[in-house]
Amino acid sequence: MESIKSGFYQTFILDNNYQYFIRGIGITLLVTVFALVLGLALGVLVAIIRSAHDQQPKNKRGIILRVLNLLCKVYLTVIRGTPMMVQLLIMWFVVWASSRATDGNMVRCAVLSFGINSGAYVAEIVRSGIMSIDKGQMEAGRSLGLSYVKTMRFIIIPQAFKNVLPALGNELITLLKETSIVTVIGLKDLTKGAMIIAANTYQALVPYVAIAAIYLAMVMLLTWLLGIMERRLRKSDIR
Amino acid sequence: MIYVKDLSKTFGDNQVISHIDAHIRPGEKVVIVGPSGSGKSTFLRCLNLLELPTSGSITFDGQEITAPHGDINHIRQHMGMVFQHFNLFANLTVKKNIMLAPVQLKLMTKEQAAEEAMRLLRLVNLEDKADSYPVQLSGGQKQRIAIVRSLAMKPKVMLFDEPTSALDPEMVGEVLELMKRLADDGMTMVVVTHEMGFAREVATRVLFMDEGVIKEENTPGEFFSNPKDVRLREFLSKVL
Repeated sequence: MESIKSGFYQTFILDNNYQYFIRGIGITLLVTVFALVLGLALGVLVAIIRSAHDQQPKNKRGIILRVLNLLCKVYLTVIRGTPMMVQLLIMWFVVWASSRATDGNMVRCAVLSFGINSGAYVAEIVRSGIMSIDKGQMEAGRSLGLSYVKTMRFIIIPQAFKNVLPALGNELITLLKETSIVTVIGLKDLTKGAMIIAANTYQALVPYVAIAAIYLAMVMLLTWLLGIMERRLRKSDIR
Repeated sequence: MIYVKDLSKTFGDNQVISHIDAHIRPGEKVVIVGPSGSGKSTFLRCLNLLELPTSGSITFDGQEITAPHGDINHIRQHMGMVFQHFNLFANLTVKKNIMLAPVQLKLMTKEQAAEEAMRLLRLVNLEDKADSYPVQLSGGQKQRIAIVRSLAMKPKVMLFDEPTSALDPEMVGEVLELMKRLADDGMTMVVVTHEMGFAREVATRVLFMDEGVIKEENTPGEFFSNPKDVRLREFLSKVL
């Protein structure tokens, strides 16, 4: 009991160590949110290109669409076929090799890496959503004179998005937890903060259990928010 | 109004339509009947390029819509289409279903479109459903809204692809009645249907399709009382 008490003291109070947690949460959320935005944008774009390609009759596929589709396929294969940590290491130690190790640089590098990684998974999730929409919806839109892009934007994507929201939520939760590997490039996120405290105080139990609890709390908060969003989007399903 | 010349469509090795010529004049109500798999739906869907013809040409209002770089989106604005399965936009309310295309294509402002939507809904006695979602409606209500959604674009011709085939029997009447009113108002219509009563009553011309060709076409009177084609006689004896 006494040792846990002193563990708490050393982990949170001593040398204002709680600051590591506060800043860590900030960095973790910062990376997650921007990576999410980037991932969603990339993912939706790739999903639209891929399904536009697949829905077009073979003889009507333009050369541009074919090239874009090929690029998307390469992107999906490479990103989904290599470990996230390796992608991050390459991004930081190869692409960012010549820049200084400031927090700003590391955050930008992490956001880009996680965004690109997440985009690949989001793309396939969104594509499955697009495929799940009855093709009559597209035909109805087109028959009124709406273009492919407009029908996608106003009819197909909103319905697809609603259908895949649970899967997207899953991806978001994974993303939040996976950001903990930014420690390998030295970015002081929540996990790194706990590692520093553990190294300084020789305490392992309290700091690591504490960040586990913090991650859990963040995921639960996210799940709750997603639930609210899902209920709101389900409005059009209520009979 | 619509000239169809030597139209063919194949899916793989399956020739669904072979060398059809047809001409639909303004104000005509053309009803297409035939056994399933005869290519009548495919023919109709070729008219607004929902299916790409394999060969042949279609000209609408002087524009060749099958031309390689024709602006099909613009042409489709003038051709309404009603589907067997209604295809109302599931994510939008009834009113927004009607407003979407006119507003997005900049034919009306939001206010004008909202007003027009309500006028059309009153026309079919569904103004109280304006803010409902499609899933909350019966089949007959959905189809009547699908029809007025097309009307909001003020089309020159309306294409109907088996509009009553997915309906409960008791709801068929309300949809046919709306179609009759449209016909009386002078709308040019091309209707694929199994409703022989509608064909007899409303059509100015009835086409019989079988095996991808038009086997017989005639005025409804002659068509039903004096069929010449053997397959048509067989078909009529089964459905009448």
